[in-house]
Amino acid sequence: MTIVKESAPHLRRKASVTRMMVDVLIALAPTLIFSFVVYPIKTLITYVISLAIMIGAEFVYVGLRGIMPKDGQKHSFKERFTYAYKGKYNQNNIITPAISAVIFTLIMPAGAPIYAVIVGAFVGIVFGKLVFGGLGSNIFNPAAVGMVFAKICFGSQYVTYVPTWYYEGTDVVTSATPLGYINNGAYASIGNYDLFDLFFGRIPGALGEVYKITIIIGLIYLLVRRSADFRIVVSYLGTFSILMLVAGLSVMGLGTGINPFMFLLYNLLSGGVLFGAAFMLTDPVTSPINAPSRWIYGIIAAVATVFIRLFAALPEGVGFSILIANMVACVLDHYEWSSSRYTWKKFLTMGLLIVIPALVTFLVIYYGDTFNG
Amino acid sequence: MIAKTRHIKDTKKLIGSLPAVRYVDPKYLYAATTNARCNSFELYIKEGEHVNCCQPIGMRHGPFFDQPIHSPCSGTFVGFEKHYHRNGKLIDFIKIENDFKDTFDKSCFKRTPEEIAKLTKEDITNIVKDCALVGLGGSSFPTYVKFQTQKKIDIILINAIECEPYITADHRLMLEFPNRVIDGIKYAMQAFDCKKAYICIKSKYKDIKTVYEQLLKEHEGSGIELCCVGNYYPQGWEVEMIKNATGIQLNPGELPSNRGIIDFNVSTIVGLYKAIKYNMPVVKRFVTVTGDGINFPKNFRVRVGTSIKDLIPLCEGYKNPDKEKVFILGGPMMGASVPSDDCIITKTVTSIIIFDKMEFKEEPCVRCGSCVLSCPVHLEPVQIMNAVKVADKERIKKLNPLKCIECGLCAYSCTSKIQVTDYIRKAKIFAKL
Repeated sequence: MTIVKESAPHLRRKASVTRMMVDVLIALAPTLIFSFVVYPIKTLITYVISLAIMIGAEFVYVGLRGIMPKDGQKHSFKERFTYAYKGKYNQNNIITPAISAVIFTLIMPAGAPIYAVIVGAFVGIVFGKLVFGGLGSNIFNPAAVGMVFAKICFGSQYVTYVPTWYYEGTDVVTSATPLGYINNGAYASIGNYDLFDLFFGRIPGALGEVYKITIIIGLIYLLVRRSADFRIVVSYLGTFSILMLVAGLSVMGLGTGINPFMFLLYNLLSGGVLFGAAFMLTDPVTSPINAPSRWIYGIIAAVATVFIRLFAALPEGVGFSILIANMVACVLDHYEWSSSRYTWKKFLTMGLLIVIPALVTFLVIYYGDTFNG
Repeated sequence: MIAKTRHIKDTKKLIGSLPAVRYVDPKYLYAATTNARCNSFELYIKEGEHVNCCQPIGMRHGPFFDQPIHSPCSGTFVGFEKHYHRNGKLIDFIKIENDFKDTFDKSCFKRTPEEIAKLTKEDITNIVKDCALVGLGGSSFPTYVKFQTQKKIDIILINAIECEPYITADHRLMLEFPNRVIDGIKYAMQAFDCKKAYICIKSKYKDIKTVYEQLLKEHEGSGIELCCVGNYYPQGWEVEMIKNATGIQLNPGELPSNRGIIDFNVSTIVGLYKAIKYNMPVVKRFVTVTGDGINFPKNFRVRVGTSIKDLIPLCEGYKNPDKEKVFILGGPMMGASVPSDDCIITKTVTSIIIFDKMEFKEEPCVRCGSCVLSCPVHLEPVQIMNAVKVADKERIKKLNPLKCIECGLCAYSCTSKIQVTDYIRKAKIFAKL
């Protein structure tokens, strides 16, 4: 019998990164399956392409990092291959790009052309993750980077309605996605879509992020398994609700006869708010490290989403706001002020981050025309 | 899992109900010549000379204080032998051959209650100093230093929480010698002239609670109370215990005596009882031998200076002897691992834990934040780790790793199985530069 030395502590909790990642995959599965049922071919093509590109890119990346240093000798391919991959390529190099691929598939619009998918997936994994150093080092959410890049570059080529058995596009030519109605100040026409349709995804939009019912199931699973931090989800959805309620009240004040709570529900259930909150913002790698910063992070993301949704000329409010929040995350983590204690300064910051945007929302909606005119 | 971790999987319920096996007369006993706080020594006896039990046979010299060495038994001094000490170092031990007569030295005598009632704080401090009483919970901090405080003490806290998993030595002590505990507390209260004492235990220890509730009825008006605190780790940490028992939150680095509080481990209190009642140093103590590497985990009451090798056969030997083992003196969260089973039980060894070596596969950090959420002193272990990796001294200092109590929760809770605590230890060295 041999006795070995090791440093304390000698126990470890029963938890692993792989298990956490598999949890995310399990949580995503219902949405993916729903998406397969509604758009079988489109989802399959998008999914297979993004999966192949992302896992392949990760594979090539590990190989590039493990290039043998030149030592004057000749090595066979097999030797070089083992040098690069032995011990460095493991299940995490497959599961994490697979998660990015699933998320990317589900947030790509159903009408996106194939080349947009290819470019988006490649840019997402390479410039969103691998250039920073792979798992654990990336600043931005790879799927969000890919989706936003594809949208910016090829957005005009997207088809607005893809035929499916699940619902009928009312008018293929003029039908916009529901969010198009809210943008541009056309608040009055949000009644065109039923809340029930929104909840079950009977609307044109992305491949997966429209099926709120399965997303909520996945979100509950993640929170129960503690694979996502509830702080981010609560602060994001909470701030989003507060600001949208303020916006709804302001719209009602304009005399449009809109019920502010319907306005809020409609906003919560349309677009990628729930999907982003459940699967993209909560990605631990790109979120801040301590609890107070995570509350602030969710608030910032929500403010960005609301502003982009209500006032911007661009679509994809959630995608952009996630990237903006990702950028802020490293600032929140700076060692000069990062601390896991709750202080009154942090509560003040959180309060101001909610109150000022609420005020701005109200002023812009209520007096916006006055300023313009 | 992104979650605050405070509960550690444990086998205490199982082992804590086993009465301690008496193993007080081994053939040879050993007394350490040096320890972590004293690095040189002188000896009063010569080889072959007969010694009595509790006889001062030497003096350890340290930079801050001296500590007498007592013979743990009566017998013959046969020479020096090298063994592993609790702190993981191979040092010289004084080897004494037991003559099984247990003749006590003349320095040990029984004090009558009247004599004890007359003792002042200075007398008690001197007795404690002569008996070389130290913190027996594992700190080995000399107890007489605590007695020298000039502050007014209002509350004495007895730490019987034993928050580390697996250890049940204090648990057995509490159950088997409750009267010694109560008397020890009374002596301590007399020394500090204080009216209140709390015995802090985990609220899940129903057996201790029953015993002491009964017992304290007999000692009504003594001011001793039972105080049930939380069940989590590190509840036994001084600051956490004081907070839950009295509601006082100490500032980092502040001494409890500043707030009128003093705390003792329950084994130290029993040591104090022996010192005052019989003028005796600590010669016996409770030790738990446990872990998944041993066949029958047991509690022992052993003489200080027993070799651990003697205890292993009493536990029916090692389980799976072909596997690599980790040998821990102290708790599995903070205890030191020793490179051999050839160690000696000193006063401060609370337990011997033998684990099969577990290989933890390290994965890249995904910044899940479990270590930050779990840290009891509100540090950010992962940030410190990243700063250590790039050797950024300024950043390390700003992150304040010296506050760390090395409870090990950051490494325990890590989803990536990174040895975070080791990085914090490195950071402490950086921060002191």
